[in-house]
Amino acid sequence: MRSTALAFSLILTPFCASADMVDDILDQQILPGMETLASTSTTLARAAKADCRSNSTLMRRAYDDAFDAWMMVSHFRFGPTETDNRAFALSFWPDSRGKIPKALSALVRNQDPVINTPEDFATASIAARGFYAMDYLLYNSEITGASTAEYHCNLFQAITADIANTAQLIHNDWQASYADQLRSPGDRYQTEGEVKQELYKALNTGLQVTADMRLGRPLGTFDKPRPKRAEARRSRRSQRHVALSLQALKPLAIALSVDNVALADKFHLTFAKAHKAVERLDDPIFASVADPADRFRVEALQQLVNDIRAIADTELGPSLGVDPGFNSLDGD
Amino acid sequence: MTSRRGFLAGLLATGLAPQASWADLGCPAYLSAAKQPDGTYTFVGLSAQGTILFRCPLPDRGHAASAHPKRPEVVAFARRPGRFADVIDCRTGNQLARITPTKGHHFYGHGCFSHDGSQLFTTENEYETARGIIGVWDTTDNYRRIGSFASGGIGPHDVLLHQKVGGLVVANGGIQTHPDRGREKLNLDSMQPNLTYLDFDGTVIDQMQLSDDLHQNSIRHLSMHDNGTVGFAMQWQGEPGADVPIVGLHRPGTSPRLLAEDDPRVRNLNGYGGSIQFSADGSTIAVTSPRGGVVQVMDTASGLLQQEHHLADVCGLSTNETGFVASTGAGQLVALNKGKMTVMSKTDLRWDNHLIRLR
Repeated sequence: MRSTALAFSLILTPFCASADMVDDILDQQILPGMETLASTSTTLARAAKADCRSNSTLMRRAYDDAFDAWMMVSHFRFGPTETDNRAFALSFWPDSRGKIPKALSALVRNQDPVINTPEDFATASIAARGFYAMDYLLYNSEITGASTAEYHCNLFQAITADIANTAQLIHNDWQASYADQLRSPGDRYQTEGEVKQELYKALNTGLQVTADMRLGRPLGTFDKPRPKRAEARRSRRSQRHVALSLQALKPLAIALSVDNVALADKFHLTFAKAHKAVERLDDPIFASVADPADRFRVEALQQLVNDIRAIADTELGPSLGVDPGFNSLDGD
Repeated sequence: MTSRRGFLAGLLATGLAPQASWADLGCPAYLSAAKQPDGTYTFVGLSAQGTILFRCPLPDRGHAASAHPKRPEVVAFARRPGRFADVIDCRTGNQLARITPTKGHHFYGHGCFSHDGSQLFTTENEYETARGIIGVWDTTDNYRRIGSFASGGIGPHDVLLHQKVGGLVVANGGIQTHPDRGREKLNLDSMQPNLTYLDFDGTVIDQMQLSDDLHQNSIRHLSMHDNGTVGFAMQWQGEPGADVPIVGLHRPGTSPRLLAEDDPRVRNLNGYGGSIQFSADGSTIAVTSPRGGVVQVMDTASGLLQQEHHLADVCGLSTNETGFVASTGAGQLVALNKGKMTVMSKTDLRWDNHLIRLR
């Protein structure tokens, strides 16, 4: 037993990085981000209470604000967002099997009373919950048309109340205990190194989702582009999500490079390039992917995000002392 | 000591002492291939507590292993495209023999012994024709090659003895590769994985193919329940973000059951099942995903996802008396028991894909 403990202590990688790194990420990004998510989601639920027609400007605007807030923190997928599948309850995406329209249509068709109380609705199909269900309901006439106005109104109120509740639970957990777990390793995380590994993974996962899913899924292949797979395309938010994700991931990459000025500069530069490319795109739902002459712009943007990923993999990981993985790198 | 070991070995061989184990002969409880800090590869025997009992150097990266049912020896397979399989004395870690594939073949990294231990079966690629092959080796004659037959598909990966059907069950992953092109996948558009049940002459007894929409879900790894149910783990080769099952159960002659299909947490596996293992009592089945950094435990009766453990670079998976044991590329060995994860040991080795239990 003693020899095991000794072996354990000998191979802990020493971290000489600034101790403020984790505090900065918590205080500048995670905690304020989660607070904004909770407050905008509460506003969304109130808007749906005040006006639950699907063309309600109030509700649509509140939906955009709350969805924006989620995009700014959706990459912090650990701890409070993983409890009780909360991240999936807010964002069931991608939906490769079309579960969202199926679940919503079933609710509407059956005028399912599961939407009547928050407790019941929390047990409904996870595909019928969250922002992507709202994307369908606010802007999809098929599901809208099949519903009675009253049921539709109740459904909006159920989904938005559920979003607000989930966002509040996430925010509460971060505030009450999870931020401290990151600040003072010893329980959920054994070392500061493990905390940094978690934050590094959040950056990597965020970049991967943007490159492979947000851009890669609609791009498909040259012979078979899949524009209808663009994220939240009914509310025309696809391009916006790529911009927001870059905006959210850049400060994380820079904060993680705090001890390496050259690396931080590199991130500044590459994120700025990618951001400029997405701003110039003017293709809100990536419709251009279906145009052989035009899709290169989206491909180029994807390449720029992959360039950032490569820097994170080959330079940031080693500079943080994060293990690149053995089995995960090259599976079999 | 030697005579006692000989006595025990005799008892084990006759099945008269089912309570005696290989550990009584000084054999390890677990086996795993690993990469050492200096970049070399090795094959390691571990105690039930996770301490290292022996290291046997390997010329290249290893993958899985299989224990002889009666003799205290194990075969450690090279990772695909494998050029060797080393027979190792599990009491000492000494190499007893080296098996090399027939010309024009390479190993895939898995194999299994016949019930009486007289034969070893290996999964192989006849790479000029891309035919999946099961190689047959005579273990009583210094592991001499004595035959081969078709595996029933392309890219046979894992193979297990299936006593109920009186033969083998093979996970034909469906992916065509050629050693000249490294590990490049050559047929992703047309791949068609299957689970094939063969008798010992290579006659197909049964074959299971998933529905067309899952033709890019490569069936790779297997686990066997005492009642003859085969658990299989898949690796998705299609577009990222597709919502696909990773674990299934199958009994010959029936339709497969895909587990936890409606649970969004299956996405946390990142489309990749690394190892699969039934619990000792068969009531649950676990799957690891190094890409997702997660182990998921599913109930075999209800098909529901029961527990999820987050563990970076986890891949190797086995059982202990009360639950599961998993290994990671960061050198950890952990015990998973009813939702609780306990670190058993940590070394500076990188544990490779599979953790094999010796019993």
